[in-house]
Amino acid sequence: MSAKTKISVVDLRMEYVDENRGIRHIATDGLTLDVKENEFLCVVGPSGCGKSTLLSAIAGFLKPRGGTVSMDGRPILEPGADRGVVFQEYALLPWKTVLENVGLGLKLRGVAKAERDAVAMRFLDITNLTHAAEKYPHELSGGMKQRAAVARTLANKPEVMLMDEPFAAVDAQTRLTLQEELVRIWDENRLTVLFITHSVEEAVFLGDRIIVLTPGPGKVRAVVDVPIPRDQRHWATINANPQFVAIRDRTLALVRGLEAA
Amino acid sequence: MKTAAINDRNSGIASLRSLVSPRAWKGVLGLLGILALWQTSIPLIGVSEYFYPSPAAVARAAIHLVKTGILPAYIGDSLGRYLAGVSIGVTLGILFGLLIGFSAGASRMLSPIINFFFAIVEVAWIPLFVLWWGYGLKVILVALSYIVFFPVLYNTILGVRSVPQVLINAAYSLGATRLQLIQEVILPAALPSIFTGLRLGAGFAFRGLIFSEMIAAKSGVGYLIFEGASNQQTDRTIVGMIVMGLLWLFIERIYIRPLEALTVDRWGLATRAEDRE
Ligand SMILES: Nc1ncnc2c1ncn2[C@@H]1O[C@H](COP(=O)(O)OP(=O)(O)OP(=O)(O)O)[C@@H](O)[C@H]1O
Ligand SMILES: [Mg+2]
Repeated sequence: MSAKTKISVVDLRMEYVDENRGIRHIATDGLTLDVKENEFLCVVGPSGCGKSTLLSAIAGFLKPRGGTVSMDGRPILEPGADRGVVFQEYALLPWKTVLENVGLGLKLRGVAKAERDAVAMRFLDITNLTHAAEKYPHELSGGMKQRAAVARTLANKPEVMLMDEPFAAVDAQTRLTLQEELVRIWDENRLTVLFITHSVEEAVFLGDRIIVLTPGPGKVRAVVDVPIPRDQRHWATINANPQFVAIRDRTLALVRGLEAA
Repeated sequence: MKTAAINDRNSGIASLRSLVSPRAWKGVLGLLGILALWQTSIPLIGVSEYFYPSPAAVARAAIHLVKTGILPAYIGDSLGRYLAGVSIGVTLGILFGLLIGFSAGASRMLSPIINFFFAIVEVAWIPLFVLWWGYGLKVILVALSYIVFFPVLYNTILGVRSVPQVLINAAYSLGATRLQLIQEVILPAALPSIFTGLRLGAGFAFRGLIFSEMIAAKSGVGYLIFEGASNQQTDRTIVGMIVMGLLWLFIERIYIRPLEALTVDRWGLATRAEDRE
Protein backbone atom coordinates (compact mmCIF):
# COMPACT_ATOMS: atom_id res chain seq x y z
CA MET A 1 0.00 0.00 0.00
CA SER A 2 1.22 3.46 -0.81
CA ALA A 3 2.12 5.48 2.26
CA LYS A 4 0.92 8.78 0.80
CA THR A 5 -1.42 10.60 3.15
CA LYS A 6 -4.84 11.26 1.70
CA ILE A 7 -6.56 12.86 4.64
CA SER A 8 -4.82 14.39 7.57
CA VAL A 9 -6.54 15.31 10.83
CA VAL A 10 -4.31 17.19 13.23
CA ASP A 11 -5.18 18.10 16.80
CA LEU A 12 -8.85 18.37 15.92
CA ARG A 13 -11.17 20.08 18.37
CA MET A 14 -14.87 20.03 17.57
CA GLU A 15 -17.49 21.77 19.66
CA TYR A 16 -21.24 22.04 19.57
CA VAL A 17 -22.31 25.41 20.86
CA ASP A 18 -25.87 26.19 21.81
CA GLU A 19 -25.82 29.97 22.03
CA ASN A 20 -29.38 30.27 23.31
CA ARG A 21 -28.74 28.11 26.32
CA GLY A 22 -25.08 29.01 26.64
CA ILE A 23 -24.04 25.37 26.46
CA ARG A 24 -20.81 24.24 24.87
CA HIS A 25 -20.17 20.57 24.26
CA ILE A 26 -16.72 19.36 23.32
CA ALA A 27 -17.14 16.40 20.95
CA THR A 28 -13.48 15.76 20.10
CA ASP A 29 -10.28 17.29 21.39
CA GLY A 30 -6.71 16.73 20.34
CA LEU A 31 -7.73 14.14 17.77
CA THR A 32 -4.97 13.32 15.33
CA LEU A 33 -5.06 10.70 12.60
CA ASP A 34 -4.11 10.09 8.98
CA VAL A 35 -5.97 8.25 6.32
CA LYS A 36 -3.56 6.98 3.71
CA GLU A 37 -4.31 6.90 0.06
CA ASN A 38 -6.25 3.78 -0.94
CA GLU A 39 -6.44 2.74 2.69
CA PHE A 40 -9.43 1.11 4.33
CA LEU A 41 -9.47 2.73 7.75
CA CYS A 42 -11.96 1.71 10.40
CA VAL A 43 -12.92 3.80 13.40
CA VAL A 44 -14.41 2.22 16.50
CA GLY A 45 -15.29 3.74 19.83
CA PRO A 46 -18.12 4.01 22.32
CA SER A 47 -21.35 5.71 21.45
CA GLY A 48 -21.12 9.47 21.71
CA CYS A 49 -17.33 9.59 21.49
CA GLY A 50 -17.37 11.81 18.43
CA LYS A 51 -17.13 9.42 15.48
CA SER A 52 -19.89 11.06 13.47
CA THR A 53 -18.52 14.46 14.39
CA LEU A 54 -15.10 13.49 13.04
CA LEU A 55 -16.77 12.38 9.83
CA SER A 56 -18.65 15.69 9.58
CA ALA A 57 -15.39 17.57 9.88
CA ILE A 58 -13.75 15.55 7.10
CA ALA A 59 -16.86 15.82 4.94
CA GLY A 60 -16.77 19.59 5.41
CA PHE A 61 -20.15 19.94 7.13
CA LEU A 62 -18.73 21.33 10.34
CA LYS A 63 -15.79 23.67 10.85
CA PRO A 64 -13.08 22.74 13.32
CA ARG A 65 -12.81 24.88 16.46
CA GLY A 66 -9.19 23.98 16.63
CA GLY A 67 -6.65 22.00 14.65
CA THR A 68 -6.81 21.24 10.94
CA VAL A 69 -8.43 18.81 8.54
CA SER A 70 -6.92 18.53 5.10
CA MET A 71 -7.08 16.38 2.01
CA ASP A 72 -4.14 16.05 -0.37
CA GLY A 73 -2.47 18.78 1.65
CA ARG A 74 -5.25 21.33 1.17
CA PRO A 75 -7.52 22.34 4.03
CA ILE A 76 -11.08 21.07 3.79
CA LEU A 77 -13.40 24.05 3.69
CA GLU A 78 -16.68 22.69 2.37
CA PRO A 79 -18.40 19.49 1.28
CA GLY A 80 -17.65 18.13 -2.17
CA ALA A 81 -18.26 15.18 -4.46
CA ASP A 82 -14.67 14.02 -3.94
CA ARG A 83 -15.72 12.87 -0.47
CA GLY A 84 -18.81 10.64 -0.64
CA VAL A 85 -20.73 10.18 2.57
CA VAL A 86 -22.94 7.33 3.72
CA PHE A 87 -24.94 8.81 6.57
CA GLN A 88 -25.87 7.02 9.75
CA GLU A 89 -29.44 8.23 9.09
CA TYR A 90 -29.36 7.27 5.36
CA ALA A 91 -30.38 10.76 4.13
CA LEU A 92 -32.24 9.54 1.07
CA LEU A 93 -34.42 12.16 -0.58
CA PRO A 94 -38.03 11.11 0.14
CA TRP A 95 -39.39 12.60 -3.10
CA LYS A 96 -37.11 10.59 -5.33
CA THR A 97 -37.34 6.92 -6.15
CA VAL A 98 -34.50 4.64 -5.18
CA LEU A 99 -33.26 4.75 -8.77
CA GLU A 100 -33.35 8.56 -8.81
CA ASN A 101 -31.63 8.74 -5.45
CA VAL A 102 -28.83 6.49 -6.58
CA GLY A 103 -28.44 8.42 -9.83
CA LEU A 104 -28.55 11.82 -8.13
CA GLY A 105 -24.82 12.48 -8.06
CA LEU A 106 -24.60 11.80 -11.79
CA LYS A 107 -27.61 14.01 -12.44
CA LEU A 108 -25.93 16.86 -10.58
CA ARG A 109 -22.96 16.44 -12.88
CA GLY A 110 -25.18 16.66 -15.93
CA VAL A 111 -25.11 13.01 -17.01
CA ALA A 112 -28.05 12.16 -19.29
CA LYS A 113 -30.93 10.21 -17.80
CA ALA A 114 -30.47 6.98 -19.75
CA GLU A 115 -26.83 6.76 -18.81
CA ARG A 116 -27.27 7.58 -15.14
CA ASP A 117 -30.16 5.12 -14.86
CA ALA A 118 -27.91 2.43 -16.28
CA VAL A 119 -25.15 3.22 -13.80
CA ALA A 120 -27.63 3.39 -10.94
CA MET A 121 -29.09 0.02 -11.91
CA ARG A 122 -25.63 -1.50 -11.79
CA PHE A 123 -25.13 -0.34 -8.22
CA LEU A 124 -28.63 -1.40 -7.27
CA ASP A 125 -27.72 -4.82 -8.57
CA ILE A 126 -24.61 -4.89 -6.40
CA THR A 127 -26.60 -3.89 -3.34
CA ASN A 128 -29.40 -6.32 -4.17
CA LEU A 129 -32.02 -3.66 -4.70
CA THR A 130 -33.02 -4.04 -8.34
CA HIS A 131 -36.55 -4.96 -7.34
CA ALA A 132 -36.91 -1.73 -5.36
CA ALA A 133 -35.67 0.65 -8.05
CA GLU A 134 -39.03 2.35 -8.53
CA LYS A 135 -39.93 2.52 -4.85
CA TYR A 136 -39.82 5.60 -2.70
CA PRO A 137 -37.67 5.59 0.46
CA HIS A 138 -40.67 5.44 2.79
CA GLU A 139 -41.58 2.12 1.18
CA LEU A 140 -38.25 0.54 2.12
CA SER A 141 -37.13 -1.26 5.25
CA GLY A 142 -34.28 0.18 7.28
CA GLY A 143 -31.78 -2.21 5.77
CA MET A 144 -32.96 -1.45 2.25
CA LYS A 145 -32.60 2.27 2.87
CA GLN A 146 -29.10 1.72 4.10
CA ARG A 147 -28.17 -0.29 1.02
CA ALA A 148 -29.68 2.40 -1.21
CA ALA A 149 -27.60 5.01 0.59
CA VAL A 150 -24.46 2.94 0.02
CA ALA A 151 -25.34 2.49 -3.65
CA ARG A 152 -25.90 6.22 -4.04
CA THR A 153 -22.46 7.04 -2.67
CA LEU A 154 -20.73 4.30 -4.67
CA ALA A 155 -22.42 5.34 -7.92
CA ASN A 156 -21.01 8.83 -7.55
CA LYS A 157 -17.42 7.49 -7.69
CA PRO A 158 -15.88 9.58 -4.93
CA GLU A 159 -12.16 9.48 -4.18
CA VAL A 160 -12.89 9.02 -0.50
CA MET A 161 -15.83 7.20 1.05
CA LEU A 162 -16.85 8.33 4.50
CA MET A 163 -19.16 5.69 5.90
CA ASP A 164 -21.00 6.08 9.19
CA GLU A 165 -22.13 2.65 10.39
CA PRO A 166 -23.43 1.89 6.92
CA PHE A 167 -24.43 -1.71 7.62
CA ALA A 168 -25.85 -1.31 11.12
CA ALA A 169 -29.46 -1.82 10.06
CA VAL A 170 -28.82 -4.62 7.55
CA ASP A 171 -29.58 -8.24 8.39
CA ALA A 172 -26.59 -10.43 9.18
CA GLN A 173 -26.72 -12.31 5.88
CA THR A 174 -26.86 -9.17 3.72
CA ARG A 175 -24.21 -7.53 5.84
CA LEU A 176 -21.69 -10.23 5.00
CA THR A 177 -22.40 -9.89 1.30
CA LEU A 178 -22.18 -6.11 1.44
CA GLN A 179 -18.93 -6.17 3.34
CA GLU A 180 -17.36 -8.44 0.75
CA GLU A 181 -18.77 -6.34 -2.08
CA LEU A 182 -17.47 -3.16 -0.48
CA VAL A 183 -13.99 -4.60 -0.21
CA ARG A 184 -14.14 -5.64 -3.85
CA ILE A 185 -15.30 -2.20 -5.02
CA TRP A 186 -12.79 -0.46 -2.81
CA ASP A 187 -10.02 -2.61 -4.25
CA GLU A 188 -11.09 -2.25 -7.88
CA ASN A 189 -11.54 1.51 -7.74
CA ARG A 190 -8.59 2.30 -5.53
CA LEU A 191 -10.85 4.14 -3.13
CA THR A 192 -9.92 5.52 0.22
CA VAL A 193 -12.42 4.51 2.89
CA LEU A 194 -13.05 5.81 6.37
CA PHE A 195 -15.45 3.37 7.92
CA ILE A 196 -17.15 3.96 11.26
CA THR A 197 -18.58 0.95 13.03
CA HIS A 198 -19.63 -0.38 16.39
CA SER A 199 -18.62 -3.88 15.49
CA VAL A 200 -15.01 -4.79 16.21
CA GLU A 201 -15.36 -7.93 14.09
CA GLU A 202 -16.48 -5.85 11.15
CA ALA A 203 -13.58 -3.45 11.65
CA VAL A 204 -11.03 -6.26 11.70
CA PHE A 205 -12.59 -7.94 8.69
CA LEU A 206 -12.63 -4.76 6.60
CA GLY A 207 -9.83 -2.56 7.81
CA ASP A 208 -6.18 -2.11 6.93
CA ARG A 209 -5.96 -0.30 10.23
CA ILE A 210 -8.34 0.36 13.08
CA ILE A 211 -8.48 3.57 15.07
CA VAL A 212 -9.86 3.07 18.57
CA LEU A 213 -11.24 6.27 20.08
CA THR A 214 -11.57 7.16 23.74
CA PRO A 215 -14.95 8.09 25.21
CA GLY A 216 -15.93 11.69 24.46
CA PRO A 217 -14.31 14.09 23.95
CA GLY A 218 -12.81 11.62 21.51
CA LYS A 219 -9.14 11.24 20.84
CA VAL A 220 -7.13 8.31 19.54
CA ARG A 221 -6.70 5.62 22.19
CA ALA A 222 -4.90 3.13 19.93
CA VAL A 223 -4.14 2.31 16.33
CA VAL A 224 -4.38 -1.37 15.44
CA ASP A 225 -2.76 -2.71 12.26
CA VAL A 226 -4.56 -5.51 10.46
CA PRO A 227 -1.95 -7.22 8.29
CA ILE A 228 -4.26 -10.04 7.19
CA PRO A 229 -3.91 -10.51 3.40
CA ARG A 230 -7.00 -9.55 1.47
CA ASP A 231 -7.33 -12.94 -0.22
CA GLN A 232 -7.78 -14.52 3.20
CA ARG A 233 -10.69 -12.31 4.12
CA HIS A 234 -13.81 -14.36 3.53
CA TRP A 235 -16.44 -14.77 6.16
CA ALA A 236 -16.61 -18.49 5.52
CA THR A 237 -13.06 -19.05 6.71
CA ILE A 238 -11.84 -16.01 8.60
CA ASN A 239 -13.01 -17.18 12.02
CA ALA A 240 -10.54 -20.02 11.74
CA ASN A 241 -7.72 -17.59 11.08
CA PRO A 242 -5.66 -17.21 14.27
CA GLN A 243 -4.38 -13.80 13.23
CA PHE A 244 -7.94 -12.55 12.83
CA VAL A 245 -8.95 -13.92 16.19
CA ALA A 246 -5.91 -12.39 17.90
CA ILE A 247 -6.42 -8.94 16.43
CA ARG A 248 -10.14 -9.06 17.15
CA ASP A 249 -9.60 -9.97 20.78
CA ARG A 250 -6.94 -7.33 21.24
CA THR A 251 -9.14 -4.64 19.74
CA LEU A 252 -12.09 -5.78 21.80
CA ALA A 253 -9.95 -5.52 24.91
CA LEU A 254 -8.93 -2.00 23.90
CA VAL A 255 -12.55 -0.98 23.49
CA ARG A 256 -13.52 -2.75 26.75
CA GLY A 257 -10.65 -1.08 28.54
CA LEU A 258 -12.31 2.17 27.57
CA GLU A 259 -15.49 1.10 29.23
CA ALA A 260 -13.66 0.41 32.44
CA ALA A 261 -11.84 3.73 32.29
CA MET B 1 -86.93 -13.28 -13.71
CA LYS B 2 -87.43 -11.22 -10.64
CA THR B 3 -83.85 -11.63 -9.50
CA ALA B 4 -82.67 -10.69 -12.94
CA ALA B 5 -84.70 -7.50 -12.80
CA ILE B 6 -83.27 -6.62 -9.42
CA ASN B 7 -79.80 -7.33 -10.65
CA ASP B 8 -80.45 -5.10 -13.60
CA ARG B 9 -81.58 -2.31 -11.39
CA ASN B 10 -78.64 -2.80 -9.11
CA SER B 11 -76.20 -2.71 -11.93
CA GLY B 12 -77.96 0.38 -13.23
CA ILE B 13 -77.42 2.07 -9.91
CA ALA B 14 -73.92 0.73 -9.76
CA SER B 15 -73.03 2.24 -13.12
CA LEU B 16 -74.63 5.52 -12.10
CA ARG B 17 -72.64 5.36 -8.90
CA SER B 18 -69.44 4.67 -10.68
CA LEU B 19 -70.16 7.74 -12.82
CA VAL B 20 -70.22 9.94 -9.73
CA SER B 21 -68.12 8.69 -6.84
CA PRO B 22 -69.96 7.69 -3.64
CA ARG B 23 -68.44 10.62 -1.79
CA ALA B 24 -69.68 13.05 -4.42
CA TRP B 25 -73.11 11.47 -4.06
CA LYS B 26 -73.22 12.41 -0.43
CA GLY B 27 -72.28 15.95 -1.40
CA VAL B 28 -75.13 16.08 -3.94
CA LEU B 29 -77.60 14.81 -1.33
CA GLY B 30 -76.54 17.59 1.03
CA LEU B 31 -77.10 20.17 -1.67
CA LEU B 32 -80.56 18.79 -2.50
CA GLY B 33 -81.43 19.02 1.17
CA ILE B 34 -80.50 22.67 1.29
CA LEU B 35 -82.56 23.36 -1.85
CA ALA B 36 -85.61 21.65 -0.31
CA LEU B 37 -85.23 23.65 2.90
CA TRP B 38 -84.94 26.83 0.90
CA GLN B 39 -88.06 26.15 -1.18
CA THR B 40 -90.21 25.17 1.83
CA SER B 41 -89.06 28.22 3.80
CA ILE B 42 -90.42 30.66 1.17
CA PRO B 43 -94.11 30.53 2.23
CA LEU B 44 -93.10 30.33 5.89
CA ILE B 45 -91.11 33.54 5.79
CA GLY B 46 -93.52 35.22 3.39
CA VAL B 47 -91.54 38.26 2.25
CA SER B 48 -91.46 39.58 -1.30
CA GLU B 49 -89.47 37.87 -4.07
CA TYR B 50 -87.13 40.84 -4.10
CA PHE B 51 -85.93 40.21 -0.57
CA TYR B 52 -85.95 36.45 -0.70
CA PRO B 53 -86.11 34.93 -4.18
CA SER B 54 -87.23 31.34 -4.62
CA PRO B 55 -85.08 28.60 -6.11
CA ALA B 56 -87.28 28.71 -9.20
CA ALA B 57 -86.68 32.43 -9.69
CA VAL B 58 -82.99 31.92 -9.22
CA ALA B 59 -83.00 29.06 -11.73
CA ARG B 60 -84.81 31.27 -14.25
CA ALA B 61 -82.27 34.03 -13.74
CA ALA B 62 -79.45 31.54 -14.13
CA ILE B 63 -80.88 30.19 -17.38
CA HIS B 64 -81.32 33.69 -18.70
CA LEU B 65 -77.76 34.63 -17.77
CA VAL B 66 -76.41 31.53 -19.45
CA LYS B 67 -78.50 32.00 -22.61
CA THR B 68 -77.40 35.59 -23.05
CA GLY B 69 -73.81 34.47 -22.61
CA ILE B 70 -73.31 36.82 -19.68
CA LEU B 71 -72.64 34.17 -17.07
CA PRO B 72 -70.10 32.14 -19.08
CA ALA B 73 -68.23 35.33 -19.93
CA TYR B 74 -68.25 36.46 -16.31
CA ILE B 75 -67.05 33.09 -15.09
CA GLY B 76 -64.28 33.16 -17.67
CA ASP B 77 -63.24 36.63 -16.55
CA SER B 78 -63.26 35.73 -12.88
CA LEU B 79 -61.38 32.51 -13.39
CA GLY B 80 -58.76 34.20 -15.57
CA ARG B 81 -58.20 37.00 -13.07
CA TYR B 82 -58.05 34.53 -10.25
CA LEU B 83 -55.51 32.25 -11.86
CA ALA B 84 -53.33 35.13 -13.02
CA GLY B 85 -53.39 36.87 -9.65
CA VAL B 86 -52.74 33.71 -7.68
CA SER B 87 -49.91 32.67 -10.01
CA ILE B 88 -48.15 35.99 -9.57
CA GLY B 89 -48.62 35.91 -5.79
CA VAL B 90 -47.46 32.30 -5.48
CA THR B 91 -44.38 32.90 -7.60
CA LEU B 92 -43.36 35.96 -5.63
CA GLY B 93 -44.17 34.27 -2.33
CA ILE B 94 -41.99 31.26 -3.16
CA LEU B 95 -39.12 33.40 -4.46
CA PHE B 96 -39.00 35.66 -1.43
CA GLY B 97 -39.64 32.71 0.86
CA LEU B 98 -36.59 30.89 -0.54
CA LEU B 99 -34.49 34.02 -0.25
CA ILE B 100 -35.50 34.79 3.33
CA GLY B 101 -35.50 31.17 4.44
CA PHE B 102 -32.08 30.58 2.98
CA SER B 103 -30.16 33.73 3.74
CA ALA B 104 -29.95 35.21 7.21
CA GLY B 105 -28.93 38.56 5.71
CA ALA B 106 -31.97 38.75 3.46
CA SER B 107 -34.12 37.70 6.39
CA ARG B 108 -32.85 40.52 8.61
CA MET B 109 -33.28 43.05 5.81
CA LEU B 110 -36.68 42.01 4.46
CA SER B 111 -38.57 40.52 7.39
CA PRO B 112 -39.51 43.79 9.16
CA ILE B 113 -40.80 45.39 5.95
CA ILE B 114 -42.76 42.31 4.99
CA ASN B 115 -44.26 41.94 8.46
CA PHE B 116 -45.29 45.58 8.32
CA PHE B 117 -47.11 45.15 5.03
CA PHE B 118 -48.65 41.90 6.19
CA ALA B 119 -50.51 43.86 8.84
CA ILE B 120 -52.10 46.14 6.25
CA VAL B 121 -55.00 44.09 4.93
CA GLU B 122 -55.63 44.20 1.20
CA VAL B 123 -59.04 45.80 1.73
CA ALA B 124 -57.22 48.91 2.90
CA TRP B 125 -55.25 49.05 -0.32
CA ILE B 126 -58.01 48.55 -2.85
CA PRO B 127 -59.50 52.09 -2.72
CA LEU B 128 -55.99 53.49 -3.09
CA PHE B 129 -55.23 51.16 -6.01
CA VAL B 130 -58.45 52.27 -7.72
CA LEU B 131 -57.39 55.87 -7.25
CA TRP B 132 -54.01 55.17 -8.81
CA TRP B 133 -54.94 52.84 -11.65
CA GLY B 134 -58.70 53.24 -12.10
CA TYR B 135 -61.06 50.31 -12.31
CA GLY B 136 -59.83 47.20 -14.02
CA LEU B 137 -57.57 44.24 -14.23
CA LYS B 138 -54.49 45.80 -12.67
CA VAL B 139 -56.18 46.53 -9.35
CA ILE B 140 -57.59 43.03 -9.14
CA LEU B 141 -54.32 41.32 -10.03
CA VAL B 142 -52.32 43.36 -7.54
CA ALA B 143 -54.91 42.78 -4.83
CA LEU B 144 -55.00 39.02 -5.45
CA SER B 145 -51.26 38.55 -5.58
CA TYR B 146 -50.95 40.67 -2.44
CA ILE B 147 -53.37 38.36 -0.65
CA VAL B 148 -51.72 35.13 -1.80
CA PHE B 149 -48.20 36.40 -1.27
CA PHE B 150 -48.15 36.37 2.53
CA PRO B 151 -49.36 32.87 3.40
CA VAL B 152 -47.19 31.40 0.63
CA LEU B 153 -44.21 33.42 1.80
CA TYR B 154 -44.50 32.52 5.48
CA ASN B 155 -45.07 28.86 4.78
CA THR B 156 -42.21 28.72 2.28
CA ILE B 157 -39.88 30.22 4.88
CA LEU B 158 -41.07 27.68 7.41
CA GLY B 159 -40.61 24.88 4.88
CA VAL B 160 -37.12 25.97 3.91
CA ARG B 161 -36.01 26.32 7.51
CA SER B 162 -37.26 22.89 8.45
CA VAL B 163 -35.43 20.96 5.74
CA PRO B 164 -33.36 18.35 7.61
CA GLN B 165 -29.72 19.41 7.60
CA VAL B 166 -28.63 15.87 6.74
CA LEU B 167 -30.44 16.07 3.37
CA ILE B 168 -28.67 19.33 2.59
CA ASN B 169 -25.34 17.76 3.55
CA ALA B 170 -26.10 14.73 1.41
CA ALA B 171 -26.77 16.86 -1.66
CA TYR B 172 -23.62 18.91 -1.18
CA SER B 173 -21.54 15.73 -0.79
CA LEU B 174 -22.96 14.47 -4.04
CA GLY B 175 -21.69 17.64 -5.68
CA ALA B 176 -24.72 19.92 -5.67
CA THR B 177 -24.29 23.62 -6.31
CA ARG B 178 -26.44 26.07 -4.37
CA LEU B 179 -28.91 26.31 -7.22
CA GLN B 180 -29.07 22.52 -7.57
CA LEU B 181 -29.58 22.25 -3.84
CA ILE B 182 -32.62 24.50 -4.08
CA GLN B 183 -33.94 22.56 -7.06
CA GLU B 184 -33.36 19.04 -5.80
CA VAL B 185 -33.72 19.42 -2.04
CA ILE B 186 -35.04 22.71 -0.68
CA LEU B 187 -37.99 23.17 -3.02
CA PRO B 188 -39.31 19.61 -2.88
CA ALA B 189 -38.79 19.46 0.87
CA ALA B 190 -40.61 22.73 1.34
CA LEU B 191 -43.40 21.75 -1.04
CA PRO B 192 -45.82 20.44 1.58
CA SER B 193 -45.44 23.73 3.46
CA ILE B 194 -45.77 25.72 0.28
CA PHE B 195 -48.99 23.87 -0.47
CA THR B 196 -50.34 24.71 2.95
CA GLY B 197 -49.62 28.34 2.16
CA LEU B 198 -51.15 28.01 -1.28
CA ARG B 199 -54.31 26.44 0.13
CA LEU B 200 -54.71 29.21 2.66
CA GLY B 201 -53.87 31.88 0.14
CA ALA B 202 -56.09 30.39 -2.55
CA GLY B 203 -59.12 30.58 -0.26
CA PHE B 204 -58.37 34.13 0.89
CA ALA B 205 -57.69 35.18 -2.68
CA PHE B 206 -60.99 33.78 -3.85
CA ARG B 207 -62.83 35.99 -1.38
CA GLY B 208 -60.55 38.82 -2.40
CA LEU B 209 -61.43 38.25 -6.03
CA ILE B 210 -65.15 38.60 -5.41
CA PHE B 211 -64.58 41.62 -3.24
CA SER B 212 -62.33 43.43 -5.68
CA GLU B 213 -64.68 42.62 -8.56
CA MET B 214 -67.46 44.29 -6.63
CA ILE B 215 -65.41 47.44 -6.37
CA ALA B 216 -63.12 47.52 -9.34
CA ALA B 217 -64.65 45.55 -12.21
CA LYS B 218 -67.43 45.74 -14.76
CA SER B 219 -67.64 41.98 -15.23
CA GLY B 220 -67.09 38.81 -13.28
CA VAL B 221 -68.92 36.91 -10.57
CA GLY B 222 -68.29 39.57 -7.91
CA TYR B 223 -69.69 42.22 -10.23
CA LEU B 224 -72.76 40.05 -10.88
CA ILE B 225 -73.43 39.74 -7.15
CA PHE B 226 -72.97 43.45 -6.55
CA GLU B 227 -74.90 44.62 -9.62
CA GLY B 228 -77.79 42.28 -8.92
CA ALA B 229 -78.24 43.64 -5.43
CA SER B 230 -78.02 47.29 -6.45
CA ASN B 231 -80.44 46.80 -9.40
CA GLN B 232 -83.05 44.97 -7.34
CA GLN B 233 -82.28 41.72 -9.11
CA THR B 234 -81.57 39.63 -6.03
CA ASP B 235 -82.14 36.46 -8.02
CA ARG B 236 -79.03 37.38 -10.00
CA THR B 237 -77.14 38.04 -6.81
CA ILE B 238 -77.99 34.59 -5.60
CA VAL B 239 -76.97 33.07 -8.92
CA GLY B 240 -73.67 34.86 -8.42
CA MET B 241 -73.30 33.51 -4.91
CA ILE B 242 -74.05 29.97 -6.00
CA VAL B 243 -71.62 30.26 -8.90
CA MET B 244 -69.05 31.58 -6.45
CA GLY B 245 -69.39 28.47 -4.34
CA LEU B 246 -69.33 26.14 -7.34
CA LEU B 247 -66.36 27.94 -8.82
CA TRP B 248 -64.42 27.40 -5.62
CA LEU B 249 -65.30 23.71 -5.58
CA PHE B 250 -64.12 23.56 -9.18
CA ILE B 251 -60.84 25.33 -8.47
CA GLU B 252 -60.18 23.12 -5.48
CA ARG B 253 -60.87 19.97 -7.41
CA ILE B 254 -59.19 20.86 -10.68
CA TYR B 255 -56.13 22.73 -9.50
CA ILE B 256 -55.30 22.20 -5.88
CA ARG B 257 -56.07 18.59 -5.06
CA PRO B 258 -54.41 17.06 -8.13
CA LEU B 259 -51.26 19.07 -7.44
CA GLU B 260 -51.14 17.67 -3.95
CA ALA B 261 -51.83 14.16 -5.10
CA LEU B 262 -49.02 14.44 -7.62
CA THR B 263 -46.38 15.35 -5.11
CA VAL B 264 -46.96 15.20 -1.41
CA ASP B 265 -49.12 12.09 -1.28
CA ARG B 266 -46.79 10.04 -3.38
CA TRP B 267 -43.80 10.60 -1.13
CA GLY B 268 -45.71 9.36 1.88
CA LEU B 269 -45.24 12.69 3.63
CA ALA B 270 -48.93 13.32 4.21
CA THR B 271 -51.98 11.20 4.80
CA ARG B 272 -55.23 12.43 3.35
CA ALA B 273 -58.22 12.37 5.63
CA GLU B 274 -59.99 9.98 3.27
CA ASP B 275 -57.27 7.37 3.62
CA ARG B 276 -57.87 7.20 7.32
CA GLU B 277 -61.60 6.60 7.03
N1 LIG C 1 -25.89 18.68 16.85
C1 LIG C 1 -25.37 18.47 18.07
N2 LIG C 1 -25.53 19.40 19.05
C2 LIG C 1 -24.99 19.22 20.26
N3 LIG C 1 -24.27 18.14 20.61
C3 LIG C 1 -24.07 17.19 19.70
C4 LIG C 1 -24.62 17.29 18.37
N4 LIG C 1 -24.26 16.20 17.67
C5 LIG C 1 -23.55 15.44 18.53
N5 LIG C 1 -23.42 16.02 19.73
C6 LIG C 1 -22.69 15.50 20.88
O1 LIG C 1 -21.35 15.30 20.50
C7 LIG C 1 -20.88 14.06 20.99
C8 LIG C 1 -20.38 13.22 19.84
O2 LIG C 1 -21.46 12.90 19.00
P1 LIG C 1 -21.29 11.96 17.74
O3 LIG C 1 -22.57 11.94 17.02
O4 LIG C 1 -20.10 12.38 16.99
O5 LIG C 1 -21.04 10.55 18.44
P2 LIG C 1 -20.80 9.13 17.76
O6 LIG C 1 -19.46 8.66 18.21
O7 LIG C 1 -21.06 9.19 16.31
O8 LIG C 1 -21.91 8.25 18.50
P3 LIG C 1 -22.74 7.00 17.90
O9 LIG C 1 -21.83 5.84 17.90
O10 LIG C 1 -23.83 6.83 18.91
O11 LIG C 1 -23.23 7.37 16.56
C9 LIG C 1 -22.02 13.41 21.74
O12 LIG C 1 -21.80 13.59 23.11
C10 LIG C 1 -23.25 14.19 21.31
O13 LIG C 1 -24.11 14.35 22.41
MG1 LIG D 1 -22.55 8.47 15.09
